[in-house]
Amino acid sequence: MVCKQCQELLSEYIDGALELGEQVNIERHLCDCEPCRAVRDDLLQIVHFSQQLPMQAPSTALWPRISSDLAELTPGFWSRPLRWLVSFRTLNFNFSVPQLVGAAAALAIVISIGVIVSRRDSGPVQLLAGPAPSANSDVKPLSQTDLQQLEKQITQLSVAVEQRKESWDPELRTAFERNLLYIDQSLVECRHHLNDNPSDGVSQELMLNAYREKVRLLEGFEKF
Amino acid sequence: MVDKKSHTRRATTNFSIPICLCIFFLFAVAAIAADSQPRFERTYSPQRPAHLTISNVNGNIHIASWDKKTIHARATGAPYVVVEDKVLGDDITISTKLNIRLGRADFDILVPSETSLTIKNFVGNIDVRGITGHLSVHSIDSDVRLVKVNSPAVDVVVTSGDIFFDGELQEGGSYSLQSMKGDLDVTLPSATPFNLNARALSENINLGSFLSSLSGTSRGPKGVAGTYLRGGSRLTLTAYAGRILLHKK
Repeated sequence: MVCKQCQELLSEYIDGALELGEQVNIERHLCDCEPCRAVRDDLLQIVHFSQQLPMQAPSTALWPRISSDLAELTPGFWSRPLRWLVSFRTLNFNFSVPQLVGAAAALAIVISIGVIVSRRDSGPVQLLAGPAPSANSDVKPLSQTDLQQLEKQITQLSVAVEQRKESWDPELRTAFERNLLYIDQSLVECRHHLNDNPSDGVSQELMLNAYREKVRLLEGFEKF
Repeated sequence: MVDKKSHTRRATTNFSIPICLCIFFLFAVAAIAADSQPRFERTYSPQRPAHLTISNVNGNIHIASWDKKTIHARATGAPYVVVEDKVLGDDITISTKLNIRLGRADFDILVPSETSLTIKNFVGNIDVRGITGHLSVHSIDSDVRLVKVNSPAVDVVVTSGDIFFDGELQEGGSYSLQSMKGDLDVTLPSATPFNLNARALSENINLGSFLSSLSGTSRGPKGVAGTYLRGGSRLTLTAYAGRILLHKK
């Protein structure tokens, strides 16, 4: 297999969509070809980071439209704020100091809640949202903090392993790279499932396991 | 005179070829013999059921039970592979030293059946037979075969490789098998009760004839959970890129 053929098939290889024979051919080629390994690593990075891109925010015109629709649907609920809005325009804005302090505190609380909600919504996967329909009831949901800690640990270990890798026996390097790829493929697949169904407890658990497995692999090879 | 000299030279030449071949042959035999010599051989006599840890890098590990009370360990491998042991009471650790050269060391170990085992490996197959003690296997690139195992707890984690389990589950025991790239093939007696939690990320789960007798079943796109007979032991099977196959014995 030449580099051109290999690189044409790399995307499907990362998605796990290739036949076993083609997969083996690519793995053999990757063992001997540094440029193709670099392309593979780049693709894995792209897949990895694209999953972490924030959700697109809706346009500014969207909320007024929804608001007016809601007002039409639930006049009882919205009539009071609308009345308040009308009376608000007629108010005299002469505030005392305690009133100003109270208003500032209320504003700070509202902003804080807004920031927390927006942060939760901007992640690629809402890992804490909703009950996890996992069969194993003692499984803790995977939090964003857990993930960040694991990713930090993985980054540190990866740097250490990369520094040592060049001195390894080729067979050892091949075993490491092949198994790292398997784990990365599994992580990509877990992310894919979680994007489709963010509250899927089984996928959360599998992803957490896969991260731990990656840590175990890197820790093991870091000792060489 | 000239003829005599010529005859001597020819005789010497004819004589030297068989000698060279013989020397070469002897070196080859010696090299093969040296390679097959055990690099490590020990017998341990624990007072109680022992906990044996095998920590290898590259090579097969074969552990079987026997009816003696001693543990016999033998390792063969490359000359530059260093195998060392440490004994602390009934805790025995046998390990190969990490080396950037991926030297091979194959282990053949005989233990009393009640021995608890911890096996760590990087590359190489693992075969365990007839064990009734706790069993933990963590490896990177290994096919793992567990045969006639009747342990209270089994924990197998491999990154790539198939896991084959043919044994029994004890009441209240915990059994966990996980492979990221490989099949899980589990054979159990039909009368063994258990609580199953099977998860396969990308391939099928085939519970065979266990499926029809599984109660309280919850099925998702990637997992099956349920209770077989009255339940009791916890059987957790996890395959990322591989199948899960369950058979009745």
